[in-house]
Amino acid sequence: MSEATHTVKSYEEELQSLNKNIIKMGVSCEEALGKAIIAITTRDSENAETVIKNDEKIDKFETTIEQQVVNLIALRQPMAIDLRETVTALKISSDLERIGDLAKNISKRTLLLNENLPKNLVDALVRVSTNVQKQLKSVLDAYLDRSSSMATNVWENDEQIDELTNLCMQEVIKYLKEHESNLDDGTHLLFVTKNIERIGDHTTNIAEQIYYLVEGEYLEGDRPKGTEPIVTGEK
Amino acid sequence: MKKNGVNMIKISAKNVDVFYGKKQALFNINLEIEENQVTALIGPSGCGKSTFLRCLNRMNDVIDICKVQGEIVINDFNINDKGCDVVRLREKIGMVFQKPNPFPKTLYENISYGPTIHGMAQSKQEMDEIVETSLKKAALWEEVKDRLHEPGTGLSGGQQQRLCIARAISVQPEVILMDEPCSALDPIATAQIEELIDELKKEHTIIIVTHSMAQAARVSQNTGFFHLGELIEHGSTDKIFKNPENNKTQDYITGRFG
Repeated sequence: MSEATHTVKSYEEELQSLNKNIIKMGVSCEEALGKAIIAITTRDSENAETVIKNDEKIDKFETTIEQQVVNLIALRQPMAIDLRETVTALKISSDLERIGDLAKNISKRTLLLNENLPKNLVDALVRVSTNVQKQLKSVLDAYLDRSSSMATNVWENDEQIDELTNLCMQEVIKYLKEHESNLDDGTHLLFVTKNIERIGDHTTNIAEQIYYLVEGEYLEGDRPKGTEPIVTGEK
Repeated sequence: MKKNGVNMIKISAKNVDVFYGKKQALFNINLEIEENQVTALIGPSGCGKSTFLRCLNRMNDVIDICKVQGEIVINDFNINDKGCDVVRLREKIGMVFQKPNPFPKTLYENISYGPTIHGMAQSKQEMDEIVETSLKKAALWEEVKDRLHEPGTGLSGGQQQRLCIARAISVQPEVILMDEPCSALDPIATAQIEELIDELKKEHTIIIVTHSMAQAARVSQNTGFFHLGELIEHGSTDKIFKNPENNKTQDYITGRFG
Protein backbone atom coordinates (compact mmCIF):
# COMPACT_ATOMS: atom_id res chain seq x y z
CA MET A 1 0.00 0.00 0.00
CA SER A 2 1.08 3.55 -0.58
CA GLU A 3 2.28 5.55 2.42
CA ALA A 4 -0.26 8.32 2.02
CA THR A 5 -3.86 7.46 2.81
CA HIS A 6 -6.91 8.06 0.66
CA THR A 7 -8.86 11.25 0.99
CA VAL A 8 -11.98 9.07 1.09
CA LYS A 9 -11.63 7.07 4.31
CA SER A 10 -14.14 4.37 3.46
CA TYR A 11 -12.16 3.53 0.31
CA GLU A 12 -9.02 3.18 2.41
CA GLU A 13 -10.90 0.89 4.81
CA GLU A 14 -12.17 -1.29 1.98
CA LEU A 15 -8.66 -1.82 0.64
CA GLN A 16 -7.36 -2.59 4.12
CA SER A 17 -10.15 -5.06 4.73
CA LEU A 18 -9.30 -6.83 1.46
CA ASN A 19 -5.67 -6.96 2.51
CA LYS A 20 -6.56 -8.39 5.93
CA ASN A 21 -8.77 -11.07 4.40
CA ILE A 22 -5.94 -12.26 2.17
CA ILE A 23 -3.66 -12.54 5.19
CA LYS A 24 -6.29 -14.35 7.25
CA MET A 25 -6.97 -16.71 4.37
CA GLY A 26 -3.24 -17.30 3.96
CA VAL A 27 -2.85 -18.13 7.64
CA SER A 28 -5.77 -20.56 7.42
CA CYS A 29 -4.04 -22.30 4.52
CA GLU A 30 -0.78 -22.45 6.45
CA GLU A 31 -2.62 -24.11 9.32
CA ALA A 32 -4.40 -26.52 7.01
CA LEU A 33 -1.16 -27.62 5.37
CA GLY A 34 0.61 -27.96 8.74
CA LYS A 35 -2.18 -30.10 10.17
CA ALA A 36 -2.45 -32.20 7.00
CA ILE A 37 1.24 -33.01 7.18
CA ILE A 38 1.10 -33.88 10.89
CA ALA A 39 -1.92 -36.04 10.17
CA ILE A 40 -0.30 -38.08 7.42
CA THR A 41 3.10 -38.49 9.05
CA THR A 42 1.76 -39.42 12.48
CA ARG A 43 -1.41 -41.19 11.29
CA ASP A 44 -3.54 -38.74 13.26
CA SER A 45 -7.14 -38.85 12.05
CA GLU A 46 -8.30 -36.05 14.28
CA ASN A 47 -6.09 -33.47 12.58
CA ALA A 48 -7.04 -34.85 9.18
CA GLU A 49 -10.72 -34.38 9.98
CA THR A 50 -10.15 -30.83 11.19
CA VAL A 51 -8.48 -29.95 7.89
CA ILE A 52 -11.36 -31.41 5.91
CA LYS A 53 -13.91 -29.56 8.01
CA ASN A 54 -12.07 -26.23 7.95
CA ASP A 55 -11.73 -26.11 4.18
CA GLU A 56 -15.19 -24.62 4.06
CA LYS A 57 -13.81 -21.58 5.92
CA ILE A 58 -11.09 -21.13 3.32
CA ASP A 59 -13.65 -21.37 0.51
CA LYS A 60 -15.72 -18.69 2.22
CA PHE A 61 -12.74 -16.38 2.32
CA GLU A 62 -12.39 -16.77 -1.42
CA THR A 63 -16.02 -15.82 -2.01
CA THR A 64 -15.74 -12.81 0.29
CA ILE A 65 -12.55 -11.60 -1.38
CA GLU A 66 -14.08 -12.05 -4.82
CA GLN A 67 -17.08 -9.93 -3.80
CA GLN A 68 -14.82 -7.27 -2.31
CA VAL A 69 -12.80 -7.10 -5.53
CA VAL A 70 -15.90 -6.83 -7.72
CA ASN A 71 -17.25 -4.08 -5.47
CA LEU A 72 -13.98 -2.15 -5.55
CA ILE A 73 -13.82 -2.32 -9.34
CA ALA A 74 -17.46 -1.36 -9.77
CA LEU A 75 -17.68 1.35 -7.15
CA ARG A 76 -14.17 2.77 -6.72
CA GLN A 77 -12.50 2.23 -10.09
CA PRO A 78 -9.09 1.67 -8.48
CA MET A 79 -6.01 2.99 -10.30
CA ALA A 80 -2.26 2.31 -10.17
CA ILE A 81 -1.21 0.65 -6.87
CA ASP A 82 -4.85 0.28 -5.82
CA LEU A 83 -5.66 -1.46 -9.08
CA ARG A 84 -2.74 -3.83 -8.60
CA GLU A 85 -3.80 -4.49 -4.97
CA THR A 86 -7.30 -5.34 -6.16
CA VAL A 87 -6.38 -7.54 -9.09
CA THR A 88 -3.63 -9.45 -7.29
CA ALA A 89 -5.93 -10.06 -4.30
CA LEU A 90 -8.33 -11.84 -6.65
CA LYS A 91 -5.58 -14.01 -8.12
CA ILE A 92 -3.87 -14.75 -4.81
CA SER A 93 -7.18 -15.79 -3.25
CA SER A 94 -7.78 -18.34 -5.99
CA ASP A 95 -4.29 -19.82 -5.49
CA LEU A 96 -4.89 -19.97 -1.74
CA GLU A 97 -8.22 -21.67 -2.30
CA ARG A 98 -6.46 -24.36 -4.36
CA ILE A 99 -3.87 -24.78 -1.60
CA GLY A 100 -6.74 -25.35 0.85
CA ASP A 101 -8.29 -27.95 -1.46
CA LEU A 102 -5.00 -29.79 -1.86
CA ALA A 103 -4.46 -29.89 1.92
CA LYS A 104 -7.98 -31.24 2.26
CA ASN A 105 -7.28 -33.89 -0.37
CA ILE A 106 -4.11 -34.96 1.47
CA SER A 107 -6.20 -35.34 4.64
CA LYS A 108 -8.90 -37.37 2.91
CA ARG A 109 -6.26 -39.76 1.61
CA THR A 110 -4.69 -39.89 5.07
CA LEU A 111 -7.94 -41.27 6.45
CA LEU A 112 -7.89 -43.98 3.76
CA LEU A 113 -4.36 -45.20 4.40
CA ASN A 114 -4.34 -48.70 5.92
CA GLU A 115 -0.81 -49.30 7.07
CA ASN A 116 1.80 -47.38 8.99
CA LEU A 117 4.31 -45.84 6.64
CA PRO A 118 7.99 -46.84 6.60
CA LYS A 119 10.38 -44.31 8.16
CA ASN A 120 12.22 -43.53 4.90
CA LEU A 121 9.00 -42.54 3.27
CA VAL A 122 7.87 -40.39 6.20
CA ASP A 123 11.27 -38.69 6.22
CA ALA A 124 11.06 -37.95 2.49
CA LEU A 125 7.53 -36.56 2.85
CA VAL A 126 8.57 -34.38 5.78
CA ARG A 127 11.57 -33.04 3.84
CA VAL A 128 9.48 -31.82 0.92
CA SER A 129 6.57 -30.62 3.02
CA THR A 130 8.79 -28.72 5.46
CA ASN A 131 10.19 -26.88 2.49
CA VAL A 132 6.76 -26.13 1.05
CA GLN A 133 5.51 -24.92 4.43
CA LYS A 134 8.51 -22.63 4.70
CA GLN A 135 7.79 -21.29 1.22
CA LEU A 136 4.16 -20.65 2.05
CA LYS A 137 5.14 -18.79 5.22
CA SER A 138 7.73 -16.72 3.34
CA VAL A 139 5.28 -15.81 0.60
CA LEU A 140 2.74 -14.59 3.16
CA ASP A 141 5.48 -12.55 4.85
CA ALA A 142 6.40 -11.13 1.44
CA TYR A 143 2.76 -10.11 0.94
CA LEU A 144 2.58 -8.55 4.40
CA ASP A 145 5.82 -6.60 3.88
CA ARG A 146 5.14 -5.85 0.20
CA SER A 147 8.62 -7.22 -0.47
CA SER A 148 9.45 -8.10 -4.06
CA SER A 149 12.88 -9.47 -3.04
CA MET A 150 11.30 -11.94 -0.60
CA ALA A 151 8.84 -12.92 -3.32
CA THR A 152 11.72 -13.46 -5.75
CA ASN A 153 13.44 -15.73 -3.21
CA VAL A 154 10.32 -17.86 -2.91
CA TRP A 155 10.08 -18.03 -6.68
CA GLU A 156 13.67 -19.18 -7.01
CA ASN A 157 13.37 -21.80 -4.26
CA ASP A 158 10.66 -23.69 -6.11
CA GLU A 159 13.40 -25.59 -7.91
CA GLN A 160 14.44 -27.22 -4.65
CA ILE A 161 10.89 -28.40 -4.04
CA ASP A 162 10.75 -30.05 -7.43
CA GLU A 163 13.92 -31.96 -6.58
CA LEU A 164 12.72 -33.02 -3.15
CA THR A 165 9.43 -34.11 -4.72
CA ASN A 166 11.33 -36.37 -7.09
CA LEU A 167 13.24 -37.92 -4.21
CA CYS A 168 9.97 -38.49 -2.39
CA MET A 169 8.45 -40.03 -5.51
CA GLN A 170 11.34 -42.48 -5.61
CA GLU A 171 10.51 -43.54 -2.05
CA VAL A 172 6.85 -43.95 -2.93
CA ILE A 173 7.72 -46.06 -5.95
CA LYS A 174 9.99 -48.18 -3.81
CA TYR A 175 7.10 -48.62 -1.39
CA LEU A 176 4.78 -49.58 -4.22
CA LYS A 177 7.19 -52.25 -5.39
CA GLU A 178 7.57 -53.66 -1.89
CA HIS A 179 3.83 -53.62 -1.19
CA GLU A 180 2.39 -54.91 -4.45
CA SER A 181 -0.59 -56.30 -2.59
CA ASN A 182 -1.43 -52.81 -1.29
CA LEU A 183 -1.75 -50.69 -4.39
CA ASP A 184 -4.35 -48.45 -2.70
CA ASP A 185 -1.94 -47.02 -0.17
CA GLY A 186 0.77 -46.58 -2.77
CA THR A 187 -1.56 -44.70 -5.08
CA HIS A 188 -2.73 -42.40 -2.29
CA LEU A 189 0.88 -41.66 -1.42
CA LEU A 190 1.68 -40.76 -5.03
CA PHE A 191 -1.17 -38.25 -5.02
CA VAL A 192 -0.19 -36.88 -1.64
CA THR A 193 3.33 -36.22 -2.89
CA LYS A 194 2.03 -34.61 -6.05
CA ASN A 195 -0.39 -32.50 -4.01
CA ILE A 196 2.42 -31.16 -1.86
CA GLU A 197 4.34 -30.22 -4.98
CA ARG A 198 1.26 -28.50 -6.40
CA ILE A 199 0.98 -26.46 -3.22
CA GLY A 200 4.55 -25.35 -3.89
CA ASP A 201 3.53 -24.32 -7.41
CA HIS A 202 0.60 -22.25 -6.14
CA THR A 203 2.95 -20.62 -3.67
CA THR A 204 5.21 -19.68 -6.58
CA ASN A 205 2.19 -18.22 -8.42
CA ILE A 206 1.49 -16.07 -5.38
CA ALA A 207 5.14 -14.95 -5.33
CA GLU A 208 4.75 -13.82 -8.96
CA GLN A 209 1.62 -11.87 -8.05
CA ILE A 210 3.38 -10.14 -5.16
CA TYR A 211 6.24 -9.17 -7.44
CA TYR A 212 3.74 -7.61 -9.86
CA LEU A 213 1.89 -5.91 -7.03
CA VAL A 214 5.04 -4.24 -5.73
CA GLU A 215 6.96 -3.54 -8.94
CA GLY A 216 4.16 -3.12 -11.46
CA GLU A 217 6.06 -5.44 -13.77
CA TYR A 218 6.06 -9.16 -14.27
CA LEU A 219 8.88 -11.37 -13.04
CA GLU A 220 10.99 -12.01 -16.10
CA GLY A 221 12.43 -15.30 -17.21
CA ASP A 222 11.42 -18.93 -17.06
CA ARG A 223 10.32 -20.44 -13.84
CA PRO A 224 13.17 -22.31 -12.19
CA LYS A 225 12.63 -26.02 -12.86
CA GLY A 226 14.08 -28.99 -11.03
CA THR A 227 15.12 -32.23 -12.66
CA GLU A 228 12.63 -33.98 -14.91
CA PRO A 229 10.00 -35.93 -13.01
CA ILE A 230 10.92 -39.54 -12.38
CA VAL A 231 8.32 -41.89 -13.70
CA THR A 232 9.81 -45.32 -13.23
CA GLY A 233 12.19 -44.71 -10.38
CA GLU A 234 14.99 -46.20 -12.47
CA LYS A 235 17.40 -43.83 -14.14
CA MET B 1 1.19 9.16 -38.82
CA LYS B 2 3.65 6.44 -37.91
CA LYS B 3 7.26 6.06 -38.88
CA ASN B 4 8.90 2.71 -38.15
CA GLY B 5 6.00 1.92 -35.82
CA VAL B 6 6.67 5.02 -33.73
CA ASN B 7 4.23 7.91 -33.67
CA MET B 8 5.57 11.15 -35.12
CA ILE B 9 5.87 14.13 -32.84
CA LYS B 10 3.37 16.86 -33.73
CA ILE B 11 4.11 19.40 -31.03
CA SER B 12 7.27 19.79 -29.07
CA ALA B 13 7.38 22.13 -26.03
CA LYS B 14 10.89 23.02 -24.96
CA ASN B 15 11.75 24.77 -21.68
CA VAL B 16 8.42 26.57 -21.50
CA ASP B 17 7.99 29.03 -18.63
CA VAL B 18 4.84 31.08 -18.15
CA PHE B 19 4.42 34.07 -15.86
CA TYR B 20 1.28 35.94 -14.83
CA GLY B 21 2.89 39.21 -13.79
CA LYS B 22 5.48 38.19 -11.20
CA LYS B 23 3.87 34.89 -10.44
CA GLN B 24 5.34 31.96 -12.35
CA ALA B 25 2.63 29.54 -13.48
CA LEU B 26 4.64 27.03 -15.49
CA PHE B 27 8.20 25.88 -14.81
CA ASN B 28 10.41 24.56 -17.56
CA ILE B 29 7.88 22.35 -19.33
CA ASN B 30 9.29 19.88 -21.82
CA LEU B 31 6.64 17.81 -23.49
CA GLU B 32 6.28 16.06 -26.83
CA ILE B 33 2.79 15.49 -28.23
CA GLU B 34 2.38 12.57 -30.62
CA GLU B 35 0.57 13.04 -33.91
CA ASN B 36 -2.89 11.49 -34.36
CA GLN B 37 -3.03 10.54 -30.73
CA VAL B 38 -5.03 11.87 -27.81
CA THR B 39 -2.93 13.37 -25.04
CA ALA B 40 -4.67 14.01 -21.72
CA LEU B 41 -3.40 16.64 -19.32
CA ILE B 42 -4.39 16.00 -15.72
CA GLY B 43 -3.65 17.58 -12.36
CA PRO B 44 -5.32 19.46 -9.52
CA SER B 45 -6.89 22.88 -10.06
CA GLY B 46 -4.29 25.57 -10.56
CA CYS B 47 -1.57 23.11 -11.58
CA GLY B 48 -1.02 24.84 -14.93
CA LYS B 49 -2.54 22.32 -17.31
CA SER B 50 -4.98 24.80 -18.88
CA THR B 51 -2.27 27.46 -19.01
CA PHE B 52 -0.13 25.01 -20.93
CA LEU B 53 -2.99 24.15 -23.28
CA ARG B 54 -3.49 27.86 -23.97
CA CYS B 55 0.19 28.21 -24.87
CA LEU B 56 -0.34 25.87 -27.79
CA ASN B 57 -2.45 28.33 -29.80
CA ARG B 58 -1.14 31.52 -28.19
CA MET B 59 -4.38 32.11 -26.31
CA ASN B 60 -2.34 33.56 -23.48
CA ASP B 61 -1.59 36.56 -25.76
CA VAL B 62 -4.97 37.98 -24.84
CA ILE B 63 -3.94 38.25 -21.18
CA ASP B 64 -1.85 41.41 -20.82
CA ILE B 65 0.23 40.35 -17.84
CA CYS B 66 0.94 36.91 -19.24
CA LYS B 67 4.44 36.20 -20.52
CA VAL B 68 5.45 32.95 -22.25
CA GLN B 69 9.09 31.90 -22.62
CA GLY B 70 10.63 28.91 -24.34
CA GLU B 71 9.84 27.18 -27.61
CA ILE B 72 6.71 25.50 -28.84
CA VAL B 73 7.51 23.82 -32.10
CA ILE B 74 4.69 22.74 -34.36
CA ASN B 75 5.58 21.43 -37.82
CA ASP B 76 9.21 22.53 -37.30
CA PHE B 77 8.10 26.08 -36.59
CA ASN B 78 8.38 27.83 -33.23
CA ILE B 79 4.98 29.45 -32.70
CA ASN B 80 6.46 31.83 -30.13
CA ASP B 81 8.58 33.44 -32.88
CA LYS B 82 7.73 37.06 -33.68
CA GLY B 83 6.96 36.15 -37.28
CA CYS B 84 4.19 33.75 -36.34
CA ASP B 85 0.82 34.63 -37.87
CA VAL B 86 -1.52 33.99 -34.96
CA VAL B 87 -4.66 33.94 -37.11
CA ARG B 88 -3.17 31.22 -39.34
CA LEU B 89 -1.97 29.40 -36.23
CA ARG B 90 -5.48 29.28 -34.78
CA GLU B 91 -6.78 28.00 -38.09
CA LYS B 92 -4.38 25.06 -37.69
CA ILE B 93 -5.05 24.65 -33.97
CA GLY B 94 -8.69 24.64 -33.01
CA MET B 95 -10.09 24.82 -29.53
CA VAL B 96 -13.15 23.56 -27.66
CA PHE B 97 -14.01 24.95 -24.25
CA GLN B 98 -15.55 23.74 -21.03
CA LYS B 99 -18.93 25.33 -21.56
CA PRO B 100 -20.42 25.00 -25.03
CA ASN B 101 -20.20 28.48 -26.55
CA PRO B 102 -22.02 28.54 -29.88
CA PHE B 103 -22.30 31.92 -31.58
CA PRO B 104 -25.76 33.50 -31.19
CA LYS B 105 -26.41 32.69 -34.83
CA THR B 106 -27.90 29.82 -36.80
CA LEU B 107 -26.34 26.37 -36.81
CA TYR B 108 -25.24 26.96 -40.39
CA GLU B 109 -23.59 30.26 -39.58
CA ASN B 110 -21.83 28.76 -36.57
CA ILE B 111 -20.03 26.34 -38.89
CA SER B 112 -19.57 28.64 -41.91
CA TYR B 113 -18.07 31.50 -39.90
CA GLY B 114 -14.50 30.11 -39.78
CA PRO B 115 -14.35 28.88 -43.39
CA THR B 116 -15.69 32.30 -44.49
CA ILE B 117 -13.03 34.37 -42.75
CA HIS B 118 -10.32 31.99 -43.94
CA GLY B 119 -11.74 32.12 -47.49
CA MET B 120 -12.09 28.38 -47.74
CA ALA B 121 -15.21 28.20 -49.93
CA GLN B 122 -15.64 29.66 -53.41
CA SER B 123 -19.37 29.09 -53.70
CA LYS B 124 -22.50 28.50 -51.69
CA GLN B 125 -22.36 24.86 -52.74
CA GLU B 126 -18.81 24.45 -51.41
CA MET B 127 -19.84 26.04 -48.13
CA ASP B 128 -22.85 23.71 -47.89
CA GLU B 129 -20.46 20.81 -48.27
CA ILE B 130 -18.14 22.10 -45.56
CA VAL B 131 -21.09 22.56 -43.19
CA GLU B 132 -22.42 19.08 -43.90
CA THR B 133 -19.05 17.35 -43.62
CA SER B 134 -18.19 19.15 -40.39
CA LEU B 135 -21.53 18.28 -38.80
CA LYS B 136 -21.19 14.67 -39.96
CA LYS B 137 -17.71 14.39 -38.50
CA ALA B 138 -19.04 15.82 -35.25
CA ALA B 139 -21.81 13.18 -35.30
CA LEU B 140 -24.47 15.87 -35.25
CA TRP B 141 -25.71 15.92 -38.86
CA GLU B 142 -28.55 13.43 -38.49
CA GLU B 143 -29.95 15.31 -35.50
CA VAL B 144 -29.87 18.81 -37.02
CA LYS B 145 -29.96 18.52 -40.83
CA ASP B 146 -33.55 19.79 -40.97
CA ARG B 147 -32.98 22.80 -38.73
CA LEU B 148 -29.72 24.28 -39.98
CA HIS B 149 -31.19 27.77 -39.96
CA GLU B 150 -32.39 27.69 -36.39
CA PRO B 151 -30.24 29.26 -33.66
CA GLY B 152 -27.37 27.13 -32.33
CA THR B 153 -28.25 28.09 -28.80
CA GLY B 154 -31.51 26.13 -29.08
CA LEU B 155 -29.69 22.79 -28.99
CA SER B 156 -29.17 20.64 -25.90
CA GLY B 157 -25.86 21.01 -24.02
CA GLY B 158 -24.35 17.89 -25.58
CA GLN B 159 -25.49 18.96 -29.05
CA GLN B 160 -24.10 22.45 -28.49
CA GLN B 161 -20.74 20.98 -27.57
CA ARG B 162 -20.74 18.83 -30.71
CA LEU B 163 -21.68 21.96 -32.65
CA CYS B 164 -18.61 23.67 -31.18
CA ILE B 165 -16.50 20.69 -32.20
CA ALA B 166 -18.01 20.85 -35.71
CA ARG B 167 -17.18 24.56 -35.79
CA ALA B 168 -13.62 23.80 -34.70
CA ILE B 169 -13.08 21.13 -37.36
CA SER B 170 -14.73 23.14 -40.17
CA VAL B 171 -11.42 24.91 -40.86
CA GLN B 172 -9.59 21.56 -40.93
CA PRO B 173 -7.24 22.15 -38.03
CA GLU B 174 -4.32 19.78 -37.50
CA VAL B 175 -4.60 19.98 -33.75
CA ILE B 176 -7.69 20.27 -31.55
CA LEU B 177 -7.33 21.56 -27.98
CA MET B 178 -10.10 20.65 -25.58
CA ASP B 179 -10.41 22.25 -22.17
CA GLU B 180 -12.68 20.03 -20.07
CA PRO B 181 -15.10 19.54 -22.95
CA CYS B 182 -17.46 17.26 -21.02
CA SER B 183 -17.60 18.81 -17.58
CA ALA B 184 -20.98 20.42 -18.29
CA LEU B 185 -22.46 17.35 -19.97
CA ASP B 186 -24.42 14.32 -18.78
CA PRO B 187 -22.92 10.81 -19.09
CA ILE B 188 -24.64 10.01 -22.40
CA ALA B 189 -23.50 13.25 -24.03
CA THR B 190 -20.05 12.64 -22.51
CA ALA B 191 -19.88 9.20 -24.08
CA GLN B 192 -20.85 10.69 -27.46
CA ILE B 193 -18.06 13.26 -27.21
CA GLU B 194 -15.58 10.57 -26.15
CA GLU B 195 -16.58 8.41 -29.11
CA LEU B 196 -16.15 11.48 -31.30
CA ILE B 197 -12.67 12.16 -29.89
CA ASP B 198 -11.72 8.61 -30.79
CA GLU B 199 -12.90 9.16 -34.37
CA LEU B 200 -11.32 12.60 -34.71
CA LYS B 201 -7.86 11.40 -33.75
CA LYS B 202 -7.60 9.66 -37.13
CA GLU B 203 -7.30 13.07 -38.77
CA HIS B 204 -6.32 15.37 -35.93
CA THR B 205 -3.97 15.47 -32.99
CA ILE B 206 -5.96 16.01 -29.82
CA ILE B 207 -4.96 17.44 -26.48
CA ILE B 208 -7.56 17.32 -23.75
CA VAL B 209 -7.50 18.85 -20.28
CA THR B 210 -9.75 16.91 -17.93
CA HIS B 211 -10.49 16.65 -14.22
CA SER B 212 -11.92 13.21 -14.71
CA MET B 213 -9.24 10.59 -14.29
CA ALA B 214 -11.58 7.99 -15.69
CA GLN B 215 -12.07 10.12 -18.80
CA ALA B 216 -8.33 10.57 -19.25
CA ALA B 217 -7.93 6.80 -18.96
CA ARG B 218 -10.76 6.16 -21.42
CA VAL B 219 -9.95 8.58 -24.21
CA SER B 220 -6.20 9.16 -24.26
CA GLN B 221 -3.14 7.26 -25.40
CA ASN B 222 -0.72 9.52 -23.53
CA THR B 223 -1.13 11.35 -20.25
CA GLY B 224 0.78 14.21 -18.67
CA PHE B 225 0.43 14.96 -14.96
CA PHE B 226 0.94 18.58 -13.85
CA HIS B 227 1.42 19.72 -10.29
CA LEU B 228 2.23 23.24 -9.03
CA GLY B 229 3.26 24.37 -12.50
CA GLU B 230 5.56 21.46 -13.21
CA LEU B 231 5.11 18.50 -15.51
CA ILE B 232 5.67 15.70 -13.01
CA GLU B 233 5.25 12.74 -15.32
CA HIS B 234 4.36 12.08 -18.93
CA GLY B 235 3.96 8.71 -20.59
CA SER B 236 1.57 6.21 -22.05
CA THR B 237 -1.84 6.36 -20.39
CA ASP B 238 -1.65 2.64 -19.82
CA LYS B 239 1.56 3.03 -17.79
CA ILE B 240 0.41 6.10 -15.87
CA PHE B 241 -2.75 4.40 -14.64
CA LYS B 242 -1.28 0.97 -13.95
CA ASN B 243 2.21 1.72 -12.71
CA PRO B 244 3.21 5.40 -12.59
CA GLU B 245 6.88 6.19 -11.95
CA ASN B 246 6.34 9.13 -9.66
CA ASN B 247 4.78 8.95 -6.19
CA LYS B 248 3.00 12.27 -6.68
CA THR B 249 1.34 10.94 -9.81
CA GLN B 250 0.28 7.82 -7.96
CA ASP B 251 -1.09 9.76 -4.99
CA TYR B 252 -3.06 12.02 -7.32
CA ILE B 253 -4.64 9.38 -9.53
CA THR B 254 -5.48 7.09 -6.62
CA GLY B 255 -7.12 9.90 -4.63
CA ARG B 256 -4.51 10.19 -1.90
CA PHE B 257 -3.58 13.80 -2.48
CA GLY B 258 -3.06 16.38 0.23
